[in-house]
Amino acid sequence: MTIEAREAPLPGLGDAEIVFDVQAFSAYYGAFRALKEITFQIREHQITAIIGPSGCGKSTLLRGFNRMNDLVQSAHSEGHILYHGVDLYAPQVDPVEVRRRIGMVFQKPNPFPKSIYDNVAFGPRVAGYKGDMDERVEQSLRRAAIWDEVKDKLTTPGTALSGGQQQRLCIARAIAVEPDVILMDEPCSALDPVATLRIEELMHELKQNYTIVIVTHNMQQAARASDVTAFLTMGDDRAGYLVEMDTTDKIFTRPEHRLTEDYITGRFG
Amino acid sequence: MDRGSGQAGVSLGHGHERLRPTFEQALANVKDNVLRLGALVERAVERAARALVERDVELADQVRWEDADVNELQRSINQEITSLIARQGPVARDVRELLALYHAAAELERMGDYATSIAKLAQQLAAEPEEPIFRQIPEMERLCRSQLRAAMRALVDVSEQQARDVCAGDDELDALYKSVYEASIALMEKSPDRARQATHMLFAAHHLERLGDRVTNIGEDVVFLVTGQIEDLNP
Repeated sequence: MTIEAREAPLPGLGDAEIVFDVQAFSAYYGAFRALKEITFQIREHQITAIIGPSGCGKSTLLRGFNRMNDLVQSAHSEGHILYHGVDLYAPQVDPVEVRRRIGMVFQKPNPFPKSIYDNVAFGPRVAGYKGDMDERVEQSLRRAAIWDEVKDKLTTPGTALSGGQQQRLCIARAIAVEPDVILMDEPCSALDPVATLRIEELMHELKQNYTIVIVTHNMQQAARASDVTAFLTMGDDRAGYLVEMDTTDKIFTRPEHRLTEDYITGRFG
Repeated sequence: MDRGSGQAGVSLGHGHERLRPTFEQALANVKDNVLRLGALVERAVERAARALVERDVELADQVRWEDADVNELQRSINQEITSLIARQGPVARDVRELLALYHAAAELERMGDYATSIAKLAQQLAAEPEEPIFRQIPEMERLCRSQLRAAMRALVDVSEQQARDVCAGDDELDALYKSVYEASIALMEKSPDRARQATHMLFAAHHLERLGDRVTNIGEDVVFLVTGQIEDLNP
């Protein structure tokens, strides 16, 4: 298919700049099709939640946004994901640069076995950052709302922090390379409710500067924290497809599609 | 698995099982209680109007006493709904249904108050010299109750069309009220000594007209439940 600008913005999703324009994107692991012709858009400074039953391809889609699937040998894709108009999968695109601009926070907090400071400084160092590293570290930790808790123990190992703190450290680490987008794959599933709410509040603050895409199993989290929700499910061939995408308000009060309704009200799993 | 509304065979991939039977049962219980409340109110309206027409002070007294049952049932429905919202986190149609039922219960409680007011008027009118009651009043009462039944049916069937029909039917009640108004003024002009009686009847008709408005509000609740849109169907 040819790449062309979509004619009109999707209804109710605002007119902010399009960050990702996903066009008939299909993802495969070997012969198995995990995602079937996904088409939607993600806009700047919005939190977009991707929800859907286990195995519907949410995480595959999320990893499609920063070419993490490239690391899986059997993986390949069809269709396009345009990032600010540039095809992420075009041959001349450097996946390392893609991952610098499009950071990721994972399900389980995974700080490096290094000091808190070095965890945050790692990315900028690798990227050859020549500026004031102390300032970059502090700013990143502040933006991740963890500075006050760690400022007096920057040399202690990141792994010594609580789970919620580790996750915020990982967010600080992602922010340190000054990305444009933060992808979050179930970022709170290993956290207690208080740490979860903290991350959700943090997401709200972060969206002023970043575009956030979050995959979550926690429907209430999607309802609380996101601006836009995309619901994926899978067909009889087990390939994930997009059922409906709309403002989170609309999805959780009057979804258009029966499948969405049944899923979010917990009628079927 | 079919939810009983015509979309059997909906595929969500795998694992088709009912996941929230407890919540569904609780929701059904709330709905049953709202229907019970509707039945109590209908009975109160019928008895209040009969007390008025038949000058039955004792029956009017019963209606006034029994309003406490209406209030108590409404309070318990409110509690159930508040608890379901707090504990079950309903969304989409579930939250709309609970909000619609909450509002419908509040409207029914208010209708119970109108029935009580009519019962009080019945007691006051009974003290007046025996004169015929305006014929429109029993007619309004029958219409009110048939509207109320239709609204409750629309709620049970979750039928947008039935709900819209209920709202459209309110015009007839408004016309009857207008004719009572004219008749009251005429009676007062013709026989000033019957002004008190005319005023009581006018008030009774006014309560019935307001009752009809509350019924249309329940119709609007049903439309909201089905479509998610809040519409004014009784402009």
